[in-house]
Amino acid sequence: MNIDRRQFNTLAAGLLSWPTVVAASNKNTGKPLFLSAASDGDDRHWVIGFSTETGITKQVFKHQLPARAHHIAVHEALGVYLVIARRPGRYLWAGDLATGKHLNTINVPDDRHLYGHGVFTNNGKNFYTTENAWKLINGDSGRVVTWQADRRGDTFTLERLEEYPSYGTGPHELLLKPDQQTLVVANGGIRTHPDRGREKLNITSMQPSLVYMDAGTGDLQDQYVLKADYHKASIRHLDQNASGLIAIAMQYQGEAFDRAPLLALHQQGKEGKGMRTLWAPEPVQGQMSQYVGSVRFDNSGRYIAASCPRGNMISFWDTNNDSLVGTVRSRDGCGVSAVDNGFLYTAGTGRIVWYDLATDQVVDMGSSLEDKVFWDNHLSILSV
Amino acid sequence: MKFRYAFIAAGLTANLLIAQPADESAENWTEVNLAVTDSHVIPAYTSLMQATQELETIADAFCRSPDAEGLASFQDKFHSSMDPWQQIQHIQFGPITYFNWNFRIHYWPDEQGTGARQLDALIAAENQNILSSDNFAVESVAVQGYPALERLLFEADSLTSLQGNPYRCQVAQTITRNISEITRGVQTRWVDEFRTTVANADERGFFESAEDATIDFLKAQVEPVRRIQQQKLEEVLGESAGRERVQRAESWRSDRSLRNIRLNILALEGLFNGADDSGVQLSSVLLTEDVATINNDFTELNASLAALPDSFAETLEVDGGRENLEQVIAQLDTLFEALEAALKNTDLYLGFNSLDGD
Repeated sequence: MNIDRRQFNTLAAGLLSWPTVVAASNKNTGKPLFLSAASDGDDRHWVIGFSTETGITKQVFKHQLPARAHHIAVHEALGVYLVIARRPGRYLWAGDLATGKHLNTINVPDDRHLYGHGVFTNNGKNFYTTENAWKLINGDSGRVVTWQADRRGDTFTLERLEEYPSYGTGPHELLLKPDQQTLVVANGGIRTHPDRGREKLNITSMQPSLVYMDAGTGDLQDQYVLKADYHKASIRHLDQNASGLIAIAMQYQGEAFDRAPLLALHQQGKEGKGMRTLWAPEPVQGQMSQYVGSVRFDNSGRYIAASCPRGNMISFWDTNNDSLVGTVRSRDGCGVSAVDNGFLYTAGTGRIVWYDLATDQVVDMGSSLEDKVFWDNHLSILSV
Repeated sequence: MKFRYAFIAAGLTANLLIAQPADESAENWTEVNLAVTDSHVIPAYTSLMQATQELETIADAFCRSPDAEGLASFQDKFHSSMDPWQQIQHIQFGPITYFNWNFRIHYWPDEQGTGARQLDALIAAENQNILSSDNFAVESVAVQGYPALERLLFEADSLTSLQGNPYRCQVAQTITRNISEITRGVQTRWVDEFRTTVANADERGFFESAEDATIDFLKAQVEPVRRIQQQKLEEVLGESAGRERVQRAESWRSDRSLRNIRLNILALEGLFNGADDSGVQLSSVLLTEDVATINNDFTELNASLAALPDSFAETLEVDGGRENLEQVIAQLDTLFEALEAALKNTDLYLGFNSLDGD
């Protein structure tokens, strides 16, 4: 990205009309395939797969879900996508990537619920979920659960194997580091109970943390917290680049006028001192409205997009100098995926937008496909 | 989205008729946005700016020679500047959100009693440096605005306290200057900058589109209805008779909690219907029959509120007082539901992920 990008934009204005690279990589392969949960005005909930062709989005499949979902994990070799229920839901809804059709629904035990996130191992043999052992009123009720995944024809199964502590409360998004040996877990710190809906029960004492744990044994490797002033900054969402740099997105539970970090970076082993917080200059930091909904690295691994649905914008950051690069207005924008030239993002309004990182171009890719839907928080991509 | 609703039924200008191409649709959104800006938002901020300038002037006069008559005048100006604030409190986007201006004008509710503690500490410190504009602006929001000023002016011993402690009076002056500076900043930015932002909302910039700007106005229309119901009434009334806690009410010390609500609703009705006779207003984006229902709800709600005294405590003291407030709550609920239903009949949605909390 050039420093003098605005000047470049003037020169480039009008040259691009749609994301050509995205479109070019789409020829007859159905890729990239984007997947997102969505809801509609009649309070029905869906998983939708869509592709992009010459700047127009096209629905590939759409299936109704038993309840609202959150993130969708994708494994290309298994040919499976796995829809994870939004908290305090208990279902994992598996579908076939080629056809979209439903393969299986697996529920977590009655005394557990999901947090909307999960991750496959690269080899597709295992899947990990974050869960709440909610009957534990005291102590850390966060859990990380290992599942064995198996796909044979139209049969897909998940066998629950091991349950580890998440070393915190309210674990949310989790990742497997590139070496596949270490899990990175965002412990949001917020205690909830299914009998109390989505009520937050421990704001005054909440303690979020970033945890690295052994994926095979569940042993704690490292745990990091922000300084005490920021204990209400709930660590929720994560992404990583190829070198294992972790981008951390937060949702601050304190006063609207407090200034608290909403983004941070961390690299295990390289920065024993803890997370590096990222700050936008005012008024952008304030406009982020204490809430980042989703965070993703671009394909180069240098830039990150952090969506701020309450602030109605997507923010872009350069991890080389920990600074804000720019923002794009997006009403209720939340789901973000990296595409060849930048990011595709989705919004609660139904909009799908492509953003070219190099030229600062914004291209409206249509809205809600065949029927009006509100895109949910996360957008997944099956890449070429 | 096309303006196929009230515009059409009202038989308005030809360029507002059925099936416009997208660019004309954007013009329609912009027309509504500018009508609301010019007939509602900017006049309201101008009134607030003028009233808070008068508040600052009277504070200076009072503190030069604090007496009972002067305090009464100060209190009157408190009311006459709080009135326009209550009539624009519903706008929570644009310049009012800069520099925490909204919280600095009016930090409420203050559930932890932060304002009282911090104001006492500030006065006890007697530090003149704190009172400069730059320094006061970075003090806690809880000491900077109306709730702190109300505490200084409406305690039983306010006169003797202010007479006996010149620094206390200086703090009151500083708060009025602070409020006045903020309201001037908000008004100026709307006139000089944000009106242009609204006018050009269909180009890439602060807004995603002209429709996007309209949604901010619609949020200002709908969300305060629920907030008034829950925060300003239900929280105070409690779940049953005998559970009322008047001190949870907004502006309870100055005995104007229900006056605030009465003005809030009149202002929301003004936002909905516009203040000029151009025929273009925020309600233009809704179906005609929904507009009629909503206006009927406003009429009934206004009638109920007009019959109540300004004071929450006074209202509760009379027989049937609680029931009267419960009726207002029910009417607010009806109005909110009607607004939600009206929006559902359009393609306009106020939020989904932004309300999620995950």
